[in-house]
Amino acid sequence: MSVALALSVAAVQAAALFAAAPLLRGGIRKMKAAFQSRQGPPLLQAYSDLWKLLRKEPVRSETASWVFAAGPRLYFATAMAATTLVPVLYAGAPLEQAGGILVLVSLLALGRFSLATASLDTGSPFGGMGSSREMTVGALAEPALMLGLFTVALWGGSLNLGHLVRATSERGPSAHPSELLAAAALFIVLIAEAGRIPVDNPATHLELTMIHEAMVLEYSGPDLALVEWASAVKELLFMTLLANLFLPLGLATSLGPTALALAVAFYAGKVFLLAVAVTLVEVTNAKLRFFRVPELMAVSLGLGFLALAIRFL
Amino acid sequence: MAVTTDELVILCAAGMLVTAYLMVGQKALFVAIRLYAVQSLLLGVVAAAMASTDHRVHLFVSAALTIGLKGALIPWFLMRVIKRIGIHREIEPFVNIPSSLLICLGLTVVGYRVSTGLAEGDRGVTHHVIGVSLSMLLMGLFLMVSRRKAVTQILALLTVENAVFLVAFGATSGMPLVVELGISFDVIVAVLVLGVLVHRIVDRFDSMDVSRLSRLRG
Repeated sequence: MSVALALSVAAVQAAALFAAAPLLRGGIRKMKAAFQSRQGPPLLQAYSDLWKLLRKEPVRSETASWVFAAGPRLYFATAMAATTLVPVLYAGAPLEQAGGILVLVSLLALGRFSLATASLDTGSPFGGMGSSREMTVGALAEPALMLGLFTVALWGGSLNLGHLVRATSERGPSAHPSELLAAAALFIVLIAEAGRIPVDNPATHLELTMIHEAMVLEYSGPDLALVEWASAVKELLFMTLLANLFLPLGLATSLGPTALALAVAFYAGKVFLLAVAVTLVEVTNAKLRFFRVPELMAVSLGLGFLALAIRFL
Repeated sequence: MAVTTDELVILCAAGMLVTAYLMVGQKALFVAIRLYAVQSLLLGVVAAAMASTDHRVHLFVSAALTIGLKGALIPWFLMRVIKRIGIHREIEPFVNIPSSLLICLGLTVVGYRVSTGLAEGDRGVTHHVIGVSLSMLLMGLFLMVSRRKAVTQILALLTVENAVFLVAFGATSGMPLVVELGISFDVIVAVLVLGVLVHRIVDRFDSMDVSRLSRLRG
């Protein structure tokens, strides 16, 4: 692929994922409401919320420095960069020359770091509490994420997500127990990273329980819109990873219109199934006490380690 | 990308390992019971898959028994027990959760390592099936000695029992039907008796903590 083509495909893919991410949020909210016999907000509510926030004037504290304004922008930028490294519809990532799993994980870590430092900037107690909690969860989720991804990489023989997906779709599933263990580990990471219920509650603003919401409490207007949008994209990104690495079914191998249409249908189906799974977990579980979250993350880390260890036995 | 029977068996065995691991990783008793039900369903799927490819009809009976008794009846009974006595959590295990998980990691590695020494059958699933079931066996035994609540100990015993059945279905050509029926009914009777025992323990101590039994004097 030439550089210009790769860049344009990357731009299209990033735009598409950013356009679809609020729909995922809205869909999960709607499904959750249906499970609880509520009507719930309309499916497209997340878009209206973003549009409303983007038109508002940002209110920033007088004591805030440039770090405060830079945080959401960097977070948004890292999410956008991460979308170009992941295979979505086509068996290959648009910018796979630029890096693989390690770059992806570091980009996400950079995004988390920038948001956590930015929320410390105003000196409000909530920001500090939120970022300390976010970093605690992140420090436990990141190794589990890497172990899970490395397990897949061992089968595919490459750390590059494009090569990896091509190898797994050519050779078929490895039919090895480690595959399922790694998928389970990554599913727990997905829940933690998306701030879903056993770890964090996206629907609450109760002081003592929130993690992500506490961190972004000081933000308003377009700043908040960027954070919310990028978080939604991050959630979609994790689902994409989980869907395409463990079930590389229906990925397009050519750029023809029929192949792409089929790939879109397969991709939408896989993400929908994952969204249903996430919703079921949200509906049937209560939020864990914060001090018990490390136990859940230890399960994820353990499963990831086990997956990698069993590969060699 | 059709899933073959061997792949299905390996997938289900791995699923059973995940449920056993999750059982070690949390304290709510009703979640543990649900996990046990899922584990038994997966075992039933293994039995059914083996039955349909090898045309061993009696394995269908085993699959139905596994799903009906262990996947539905025993979980329902245990749910009733914890509802009746109103105790829902494992408060203080003897070993805390992160250390238990670490120990179970080690046990799984041991189980898998040991299974590499056994001869591989012609299906190519024997290594994984024996590895998973040895690990589950060790994890069940560990769960039994590290938890205080009687219901968790029953679940640990049932996990061990599932592990044994997994080897019987996946790695051998299955036990004779009579033996299987016998074991199944033994398990039910054991669970019923243990359920009554739990009631008696709770009546006497207002708690399910089995470590208090050592204070009983004649």
